[in-house]
Amino acid sequence: MVLEEKVADEVEECSDPHKALRMDPNQQAWSRNERFMKTKILHKNDVSLRLLIEGTNSAFMNTLRRIMLSEVPSMAIDDIVIIENSSIIQDEFLAHRIGLIPLRTDLDTYNLPEDCSCKSEFGCNLCRVSLALEVEAEDHRITVYSGDFKSDNPAIIPVSLKIPLAKLAPEQKIRLEAYARLGKGKDHARWQPVSAVAYKFVPIISVDQNLCDSCGDCVKVCPKNILIKTGNKIEIRNINNCTLCRDCVHACQKDPKAIDVTWDKNSFILNIESTGALTPERILHEALKILNGKLTEFLEKAGKEIEKFKV
Amino acid sequence: MIVPVRCFTCGKVIGDKWEEFANRVKEGEDAGRVLDDLGLTRYCCRRMLLSHVEIIDDVIEFFETGKRKQFKPP
Repeated sequence: MVLEEKVADEVEECSDPHKALRMDPNQQAWSRNERFMKTKILHKNDVSLRLLIEGTNSAFMNTLRRIMLSEVPSMAIDDIVIIENSSIIQDEFLAHRIGLIPLRTDLDTYNLPEDCSCKSEFGCNLCRVSLALEVEAEDHRITVYSGDFKSDNPAIIPVSLKIPLAKLAPEQKIRLEAYARLGKGKDHARWQPVSAVAYKFVPIISVDQNLCDSCGDCVKVCPKNILIKTGNKIEIRNINNCTLCRDCVHACQKDPKAIDVTWDKNSFILNIESTGALTPERILHEALKILNGKLTEFLEKAGKEIEKFKV
Repeated sequence: MIVPVRCFTCGKVIGDKWEEFANRVKEGEDAGRVLDDLGLTRYCCRRMLLSHVEIIDDVIEFFETGKRKQFKPP
């Protein structure tokens, strides 16, 4: 009851009508937790980012995830002209492998071919990069690596230079010209800037000390080793690693159960793993920009329709 | 034939990790430990390297033998 009174006060204070709508205390779907979004970086390196996001819902998280997967552009090789290929890897096979190499992407300089001013089928310097591959094995067997590509733009190179593309026996040769362009994951997976992007609820594990006799059954069964037995107590560490499998609950022989695993349905752990084409922060930023663009467009279109209806 | 460029399931690049994995396992290191070192945490990526058989080396051999025979004087 105290909580509801507080919420009502906040509604009065709020001048923005949209915010006030969201803060309606009678709306059960919006819990108190959900109204203020908070984020915290749990882990970050060159290719992965783990974020704790509080005060949102799974619809928003899934929107973000799907945009990152299918709409954030990145660069990949799209067209290949094979001049010579005497290796035992067939042309199609080789082309497929080359397409899957992630390239370092420069979103500020390059345009998506459909948005580019050149309107050309073959592209221009603003929407296409050409890379050449010319390798010959002379007297001994060699491996062709992604690092053997010579790019027109030294900034657009494969993320990893050590991906084997083919192996050549002596006297075999590969000569080809490849054209990279920006694209989206919804057209082909090679344009996905992320390999795995996933979210999960923030776990809540509660141990009832009155019921628990610290038999240690739950400790043994936990696949992530989150539970530890210290003295007569079951303690929890690295709770964010919990996969919510509830094996510990099933293992507990007490009735009612002494341990329970639940989750906060308004808090999430978002894990973004980039292929290296873009930094994970940039991917998140671009995804939000795209979402914002979509919503703005919708608002404009819907606004026009409503205007028509009024007249 | 040759190691896949990416994991079939999640799309992580695994092709560049094969050579190190193969060499280290050949030297007797524990495969699971090597996979951890290489940063392959999910089982989809781990099976890519664990179950891979690099057949291309054997196939190239046929090509080389064929070439040698072809160029020998009769």
